[in-house]
Amino acid sequence: MKPGRYWNLVRMRVRSLLRRGRVEAELEKELRFHVEQEMEANVAAGMAPAEARYAALRRLGGVARIKEECRDMRRTEYLESVGQDLRYGARTLARSPGFTAVVLLTLALSIGANSAIFSVIDGVLLKPLPYPNASRIVRLFFSSHDYPRFPLNPFDFRDLRARSHLFQALAAFTRSDVQLSGSGEPVRLAGFRVTAGYFRVLGVAPARGREFNAKDELPGNGHVVILSDRTWRDKFSADPGIVGRKLTLDSQPYTVVGVMPPGTEHPGNEYHPLPYGDSVDAWRPFTFDGNPSQRGYHIMEAIGRLKPGVTPAEAQAEMNTLITEIGREHGGYNGWHMLVVPLYKVIVGPDVRLLLVLLGAVGLVLLIACGNVANLLLARATSRQREIAVRAALGAPRSRLVRQMLTESLLIALVGAGLGIVLAVGGVRALVSLLPAGFPRAGSIHVNGAVLGFTLLIAVVTGLVFGLAPALEAAHADPQRGLRGGGHGSTAGGGRVRLRNALVLAEVSLASVLLIGAGLMLRSFVNLLRTNPGFKPEHVLTASLSLPDTDYKTSTAIAQFYDQLTRRLAVLPGVKAAGAGTDLPWTGYDENVGGFTIQGETPPPGEDFHARYHTATPEYFRALGTPLVRGRFFTEGDNHNAPKVLIINEAMARLDWQHQDAVGGRLTFSDTPKAGDWITVVGVVADVKDRPDANGAEPAFWWPVLQAPFPIPQMSVALRSDSGAAQLANELRGEVHRLDPALAVADVRLMDRIADAGVATARFASFLVGLFAALAIILAAIGIYGVMSYSVNQRTHEFGLRVALGAQRRDVLRLVISQGAKLTLAGAVVGVAGALALSRVMTHLIYGVRAADPLTFTAVFLIVTVVGLGACYVPARRATAADPMKALRAE
Amino acid sequence: MGKPSDLLQGTLDLLILKTLSLEPSHGWAIAKRIEQVSHDALQITQGALYPALHRLEHQGWIRSEWRTTETGREAKFYKLTKAGRVQLEKELAQWDRLSGAVGLVLRMV
Repeated sequence: MKPGRYWNLVRMRVRSLLRRGRVEAELEKELRFHVEQEMEANVAAGMAPAEARYAALRRLGGVARIKEECRDMRRTEYLESVGQDLRYGARTLARSPGFTAVVLLTLALSIGANSAIFSVIDGVLLKPLPYPNASRIVRLFFSSHDYPRFPLNPFDFRDLRARSHLFQALAAFTRSDVQLSGSGEPVRLAGFRVTAGYFRVLGVAPARGREFNAKDELPGNGHVVILSDRTWRDKFSADPGIVGRKLTLDSQPYTVVGVMPPGTEHPGNEYHPLPYGDSVDAWRPFTFDGNPSQRGYHIMEAIGRLKPGVTPAEAQAEMNTLITEIGREHGGYNGWHMLVVPLYKVIVGPDVRLLLVLLGAVGLVLLIACGNVANLLLARATSRQREIAVRAALGAPRSRLVRQMLTESLLIALVGAGLGIVLAVGGVRALVSLLPAGFPRAGSIHVNGAVLGFTLLIAVVTGLVFGLAPALEAAHADPQRGLRGGGHGSTAGGGRVRLRNALVLAEVSLASVLLIGAGLMLRSFVNLLRTNPGFKPEHVLTASLSLPDTDYKTSTAIAQFYDQLTRRLAVLPGVKAAGAGTDLPWTGYDENVGGFTIQGETPPPGEDFHARYHTATPEYFRALGTPLVRGRFFTEGDNHNAPKVLIINEAMARLDWQHQDAVGGRLTFSDTPKAGDWITVVGVVADVKDRPDANGAEPAFWWPVLQAPFPIPQMSVALRSDSGAAQLANELRGEVHRLDPALAVADVRLMDRIADAGVATARFASFLVGLFAALAIILAAIGIYGVMSYSVNQRTHEFGLRVALGAQRRDVLRLVISQGAKLTLAGAVVGVAGALALSRVMTHLIYGVRAADPLTFTAVFLIVTVVGLGACYVPARRATAADPMKALRAE
Repeated sequence: MGKPSDLLQGTLDLLILKTLSLEPSHGWAIAKRIEQVSHDALQITQGALYPALHRLEHQGWIRSEWRTTETGREAKFYKLTKAGRVQLEKELAQWDRLSGAVGLVLRMV
């Protein structure tokens, strides 16, 4: 076809479609002209005018049919009739507002829920990370069976970096907050020390100035800092001359060398973690101080950008070869290897399963909603049988009837989806505010084009799914039967009843699956709340302090500061106990130390003794409410002159002292211990897990602050009060500044808030899945109710006859209820079986309860049965009201 | 209402195109001309004529415009397009082949 002709075709079609009125008028005029010509010809041939006109009209035949055929020839009738179907559908829906409202509400809720959850999935999982070629960024960990993601030793990292060939850039970073003073109250900046090329790995260049280079890594250098855009704006009023400006950080002079652009997202980290996102204030270079042959301490988290075409597996193989080589040069790393994981997986990995379960849950709700709407449409199709039969009898082709029904379904689905989007916009806001704090990428969750596209897609799919059954019904409409009276005596065909029953059964079973899922999540949440955390979070105020090493050079200086501070805090009115320790429960764990020797015990074969280490002031455990299991707490007498002592947790006592009582046991960190190197265990305290949902506590011990073997400047203060701990915040600040006005008091938080954040994910999951399950069981109840009332309506006549023949009302009641009960029970059984089959999905999301928890399964079975019977009861009551006289008269 | 002689659809298209190849004219004139030329052997019903005209127009073989007739009335005139002329040639050739073939069969069998 030539383009010219093709264009002509399009022009004609568009004209016929858009200017339908004009085209119709022209056709009318053309036909009238024809009749007049014919008439004139007839008159010319000698007919009387009236006769001539009649003859002309007769000759023309059916004007309407000609018009219809001309319209067909224009080939736009398809599109026109869609418009007709839409208008017709809209009129039909408007005529039954109750039906329409129920259907639209059902769809709006379920489609809206799907869109909202999809928004979260899109923002968190589907959107690429905000780094160029983010798929090539990987995280590197030192890894063993017990510690799959352990930090690296700085010198090991430096060797790996020098010897590797598969990375475009390789960098390491370690958390290092810093205190900014100079103007007003000192503040703590969240920071990292990073090796040269760190930002090259991320693919982000500084907006001003430069990034760190190899020179900055040399010991003695490193007094330079790169600020985040936020810090530059908030703390330095976006000073354009910031690069080169001198600052005081940790009481030392630093020079600003760069400012990062806005949106420089921290990739997240594991060791003293800061969450993923815009969470870092300042970066300083990591300097390789110390002795490169001592490789015992592990503080670096590594990140790398692979060369194009290199897979993480190849990089991991290279790293493993290199670490073995390096290990051999430095005494061996038995049982340790390297782990290379794509950054994306590290960031969103832990939440993928949760999000997919939520998506599955809303998907089930949508399926149930589809079942319900299909059922309602089927019921309505029965009452529309007559209308459809009339249309079929008047010559409407089957395809047209099917299309009419599908158009109506799609119209319903699209309007429902439109309302759903409105709900989703609100729902997404609510969801984001419900997300646990620090949920990765929460900031990128929005209702956007992708979400709208997804909603449109599910609207069309659901419209087709729930419209299919009624449409096929229409296709098999029998004009004969439909026209023949209808109403009395006619019951739905067996096939239709079976279809409707199957739909309800499916709904009940899907709702049971969701309820079981929700039940398991609720039980794990309750388990988390009920588990003894090993501390009492109520009425405890906490804050974090970091003493600059220029002013507090020795452990003694640090210990003296915390000793003085806790004494002063302890006498504040309302304070019951004031302590300080190197970390707080559930805020990320502290360092590990390994390779110590325990007198009279040997480590398991192939391993060595290891434990998390901390320091604590005498009142630390009392302030947190961590109970003493055996022995004693520290006292002020446990100072540098006294014999060395330790407090350990129950996990360490259980794991490491297999043969003797831990209290009184001795250990040493020296390979060649002298008498003074042995440390005695004086107390055992209750276990506190790293995270509330961890399987068990890690072995851990505490040095008294006054006996810490090396300076640990950063500690957390805990204040236990009678009540109203929050009011103590200002007094805490005041006491700190009375001792040292240059100190920043950071992270002032209530312990119960910290404890609450620890169970936030479980609460979020159980709340949402519970919400969806509630929606599901309500929809399923509506489904049962709908199918039963329809069936009762159909059988009113039969019930009337039964009563007339002597059946008792309760017999009728039993008849109807047993029919509903059969459906419900079958649905519940299928649902329970389905939930058992799906239980593997749940195992990682639940805590302290088996995926096949008999209590949950039984409870859900009972709930579903009761709800199902309840939904049958109202229609059943109506059945008992069937009037025997009416039934007899009608016979 | 019986139709005097049913025309195959393709045949009516051919007749219309052929008639219009002489000069542009309106529907009534086309029908009259075919009837006259065929000595009333071919009766064109309006029910067939107008849908055919609309179809041909939509296929781009004829084009329409409103003009005034000699008697001063407004009528919709159809005229052959370039593509329609090509189509007419094709259909004429096809018709010759078909009628020749049918004639051959009728004579031989």
